[in-house]
Amino acid sequence: MAQVKIEVNHNRCVGAQLCVYFLPGVFTLNANGQSTIIDAAKADAATIIQTAEQCPQCAITITDSSTGEVLFPPADLGF
Amino acid sequence: MNATVLNDDLMAPAVIANPHAYYHNLRNTEKIHWNERWKGWVLTGYKEVVDVLRDAEHFSSDRMGYLEAELTQEEQESIAPIFRILKYWMVFRDPPDHTVLRMLLNKLFTPVAIERYRPMVRKIVQKTLDKVIDSGKMELIHDFAYEVPMSVILELIGAPDLDRDKIKEWSEKIGVFFFIKADEPRRREIACEGINALVEYITPIIEHRREHPGIDLISLLISAEEAGQITYNDVLATCVLLIFGGHETTMNLIANGTLALMQHPEQWEMLSSNPSLLKKGVEELLRFDGSVKSTVRWAKVDWMVGDKLIKQGERLLVSLSGANRDPLQFANPDTLDITRDPNLHVAFAHGIHVCLGASLARLEVEEAFAGLVKRISCPVLQQGTALDYYPSVVHRALKVLPISFQAKI
Ligand code: HEM
Ligand code: SF4
Repeated sequence: MAQVKIEVNHNRCVGAQLCVYFLPGVFTLNANGQSTIIDAAKADAATIIQTAEQCPQCAITITDSSTGEVLFPPADLGF
Repeated sequence: MNATVLNDDLMAPAVIANPHAYYHNLRNTEKIHWNERWKGWVLTGYKEVVDVLRDAEHFSSDRMGYLEAELTQEEQESIAPIFRILKYWMVFRDPPDHTVLRMLLNKLFTPVAIERYRPMVRKIVQKTLDKVIDSGKMELIHDFAYEVPMSVILELIGAPDLDRDKIKEWSEKIGVFFFIKADEPRRREIACEGINALVEYITPIIEHRREHPGIDLISLLISAEEAGQITYNDVLATCVLLIFGGHETTMNLIANGTLALMQHPEQWEMLSSNPSLLKKGVEELLRFDGSVKSTVRWAKVDWMVGDKLIKQGERLLVSLSGANRDPLQFANPDTLDITRDPNLHVAFAHGIHVCLGASLARLEVEEAFAGLVKRISCPVLQQGTALDYYPSVVHRALKVLPISFQAKI
């Protein structure tokens, strides 16, 4: 799979830390207790998508770096 | 300071009837207030609430540990079932124990995983409304709001045939424990009765599932137990927690949300002509009058919150309803606005204990309101009805909500 870009929406992130629990090399918490990216290259795209799925808030968006296609979340998910 | 703030009685009838006014007052005077009567801090500002909820390193959820320390050996033994079960509830545990359970269960409760229950929930909503639609009236809680979440949680744990009336009765007894109310001397004993009955009822179901595993939640818990990740106590306690936590909160939100929309009929109409607003609308109903008003944390060490030093071992009542109406975070906080965006409310808490069932609750409440606005006109309270809430610091729970409406054709 392709290189991906990870974005965390801080208008949604509640600091549940699930992303950090599942992929500590990629995600960490900032001083506000919200998720931020350390290094998107530390895991493969499939693993990153699986991790984004664990977020109860759909706060994590994964896009394909080269095509810009949104890989997660699907359009009908989230709120 | 004014009279309302000096009144530290969180159970005063006026506070139960309108917690929002009380919390506004408190927040305006002292965001972090020592409540002498409750012997703990009450937090009503958004920033302070969020800071504490997101900081599991300095603030503990170990309710049973702190209770144990307060009681004599004899007292502890008299309420052994509370310790035997509630001690293993993930909501009352700190990392690393909490982390193991949360990572295990979270996979079953993600937005993606929960989405597949939508057709089932929609059907339950339809069937439930079919029964009452022609009469033009219903007691919303009993006739509707209760049915949906109860059916769903039983389906999810893989036991759709459990006796709902019994489960409701036992859950209510367990709930007595959380009604932070000193004048119910038997509250712990009542909770024990509820726990014992529920445990006795579900133990054979767990054992049956051990022999005949499926893809349900109980089977997942058992396989984690057999792999040595969790213990039998965790399995049993989690089943009790999901049954208990999985229906009343959602039921109350459907009721509170219906009432909020009845009091803002223009918002009901907007939702009715714009179903695409459902998701945002549900977030706003959660913010405006969520069903869990507060939760509790304990300081693990001396720690500053805002300008106050919280001493090790002191407890904090974290007011979710207070934070959800903080004008520093939400413009016009007392206005119900189903288009509000962003809306980072704390109705499901924040931090590591953020509601495991949030996606499920959202889906259920969305489908409940999708069904309601599609099939009935904006309801009105039946004549002569007074709004009466259960006296609880934790739950925002109407006793009944009798409504009249016109069926849409
Ligand atoms: C509108 C409905 C609901 C509301 C307002 C609500 C609210 C909450 C809140 C505020 C917490 C955090 C408590 C704390 O941090 O001390 C929580 C935790 C929890 N809720 Fe809910 N809840 C709802 C529905 C549900 C449902 C449907 C389920 C089960 C299917 C559920 C299961 C849980 C569990 C297991 C936890 C503990 C999570 C953890 O400790 O990691 N809840 N809920
Ligand atoms: S899982 Fe979601 S809500 Fe939790 S910290 Fe990560 S991005 Fe934030």
